[in-house]
Amino acid sequence: MLCIVSVMLGVATLIVVNSVMNGFSTKLRDRLHGLLSDIVIEAYDYDGFQDPKAKMANIMADPFLAKNIEAMAPTLEIFAMLQYAYHDVPFTRSIRLIGIDAQSRAKVGGFTEFLTQPERKTTPSFELTQEAKVRQAKNHVLDRKPAYFQELPMDPSAPPPPDPPPSKPHEPQGLIIGHAIAHFRDRTQGSEGQVKDIRALEPGDDVIITTVSGQKMAPVVDRFAVADYFRSEMSEYDSMYVFVPIEHLQKLRTMEDRVTSILVRLKDFDQVPKVIKRLKEILKNEPVEVQTWEQKQGALLAAIRVEKGILNILLFMIIGVAGFGILAIFTMIVAEKTKDIGILKALGASRFGVMQIFLGYGLLLGLVGCLLGTALGLAITQNINEIESIIGSITGQELFPRDIYYFDKIPTDVHPMGVFLVNIGAVLIAVAFSLIPSFRAASLNPVRALRYE
Amino acid sequence: MSDLVELPPRQTPNAVEVAPWLGKAQLLQSTPVVSVHGLKKAYRTHIHSVPVLHGVNLEVEKGEFISLVGQSGSGKSTLLHLIGLLDVIDGGEIHFEGQRIDNLATSNRDRIRNEAFGFVFQFYHLLPELTALENVLLPLMIGNGPLGWFFARSKAVSLAKGLLDRVGLSHRMDHKPRELSGGEMQRTALARALITKPRLLLADEPTGNLDDESGSEVIRLLRTLNREEGLTILMVTHNLEITRDTDRIVRLSKGLVVNEEVQPAA
Ligand SMILES: Nc1ncnc2c1ncn2[C@@H]1O[C@H](COP(=O)(O)OP(=O)(O)O)[C@@H](O)[C@H]1O
Ligand SMILES: [Mg+2]
Repeated sequence: MLCIVSVMLGVATLIVVNSVMNGFSTKLRDRLHGLLSDIVIEAYDYDGFQDPKAKMANIMADPFLAKNIEAMAPTLEIFAMLQYAYHDVPFTRSIRLIGIDAQSRAKVGGFTEFLTQPERKTTPSFELTQEAKVRQAKNHVLDRKPAYFQELPMDPSAPPPPDPPPSKPHEPQGLIIGHAIAHFRDRTQGSEGQVKDIRALEPGDDVIITTVSGQKMAPVVDRFAVADYFRSEMSEYDSMYVFVPIEHLQKLRTMEDRVTSILVRLKDFDQVPKVIKRLKEILKNEPVEVQTWEQKQGALLAAIRVEKGILNILLFMIIGVAGFGILAIFTMIVAEKTKDIGILKALGASRFGVMQIFLGYGLLLGLVGCLLGTALGLAITQNINEIESIIGSITGQELFPRDIYYFDKIPTDVHPMGVFLVNIGAVLIAVAFSLIPSFRAASLNPVRALRYE
Repeated sequence: MSDLVELPPRQTPNAVEVAPWLGKAQLLQSTPVVSVHGLKKAYRTHIHSVPVLHGVNLEVEKGEFISLVGQSGSGKSTLLHLIGLLDVIDGGEIHFEGQRIDNLATSNRDRIRNEAFGFVFQFYHLLPELTALENVLLPLMIGNGPLGWFFARSKAVSLAKGLLDRVGLSHRMDHKPRELSGGEMQRTALARALITKPRLLLADEPTGNLDDESGSEVIRLLRTLNREEGLTILMVTHNLEITRDTDRIVRLSKGLVVNEEVQPAA
């Protein structure tokens, strides 16, 4: 009985842990894949490479690639500092500033679906909405100087400050800002209830972005207005990414006609290996690297895989412990039933027959344990969020901090194959550990067992 | 076979009684059910070797009821176990119905034990978890295997019920051994031994643990089986009273057969 319970618990934990980890990794992969496109043609550094149009034309000239490539989007990426005022308090963030062409980026995917304004999902652009324009204008009618811009007392002997960079006072460029940059998480509500985001930047509000320009990395500053938010629910992206039109960024960085990468989306993801090979041939003289999204995120994906592997080994050890339980109990049963085994053998039971009884018993234990364990594991997996909130309310501690993952639920993904393998493994362990005692039972000398009462 | 010439005259009436349909010619050709030649056995512990049998010769004819007597420790049980293939011999030969059986492969020994031999022990050796009926069915379960048992079951059950009825236990079929008296347990064990229609019944002090009345009831059953069905029985006993009911007494002493006496026909 106890054996069944331990096998059951082992199997159940394995299934739950695997399902949750699969859920995480699938969701993560889906999102990463969505965000990263299938293949990335990337420059070695932030200086990028010249003339992406010619390269894209070159690629599309190849009949095989032309047939397989769905869309391409040139991208210019750079680190930057972003600053805005919220209730006159300055907030400064480091960001990744990404210059894209909204139309072509949209075709590659993983972009428009994460924008928050519905109309932008169909026609992606950096245009401010009418409302935002009104707000923008209102902000500037008042044109109050934010408190944080108060100049330091000037040293009269110091050289005069450099000329301010060229600015566009009337029409700042619209940008799409990562959700987590523009919002604060309200933590005052405690662990109960839905976490609430407080919006720090309304559409139309100003942000100031500082980045570097030209080869010498001269600092440049520009003013932008928030057009929309980018919410992929991947905190790494939502707290880092700011999208601006690529031409604007190229001008700002004095990198006309240069990009840092080209995102490529295929018609059929299964064609990736062939396409990569062909792309590498075509681009072999260019200063670029061709990678799949998986290779680009290799470290993270590998980390998830390793983690899962180790957890599986640990959990199979639980089943191994259950196996030793079976071994111990069976050995005891064999010792206790020596006489009965002797009787069976005296009545003509073969070695194999006696072994069968114990192996069958072990198999039964394994099967019943697995069956119950699978049922329990699947039930827990199904209701993991409810269970989590119950445990959370009992212990007062949130087991699954939602603001880290931006998943509103614990994602689960049950792989039937995985469940099957867990079951097979557990049954095999149960049978393997009943093998030794059953072998001992089979080699018992019947006379020794029968001679005395 | 030269043995045939030496057949004691008592064999013929018995055999005919057993199998009246057999022709005379066949009878004369019939070989002993069991013949043992120069049987040796020593029990080895890691230091000592305890010799028990020093070359036993014995023939058991078809339809005979033999009692095996001798002092405690003279090797009676050992001999019975060796003939019953429960243990391996150290020297000599054992033939069963003319076929040498002591050197057979384990699986064949198991098969013979299951199909051709019936065992009755002093301590009954019933399985405590099974009812009387299930205990009686056990040899057929073993013999058929799990799949065969599925098909053989219903027939086997009626056979077992018949046997339990015959040993007077039809009202105790669903009782576990611990709910039975010694005599009832031994009669259950007897029914179990008979269910495979064995050609040789080996009984090791079947009355050793029973009161006189239960004991004589068991002996009466054995006698009837021997008379009416020609069951060949080799029985170890201490009770001289009981030996009177048997055809022949074989005395074992210090690992050798020292004396065989033929009983006057009862
Ligand atoms: N497993 C064993 N190891 C050592 N000696 C044994 C073993 N079994 C029986 N013996 C010895 O063999 C002798 C014969 O035993 P057994 O055949 O049981 O005699 P009986 O049944 O005539 O009383 C006894 O002296 C006994 O002590
Ligand atoms: Mg004895």
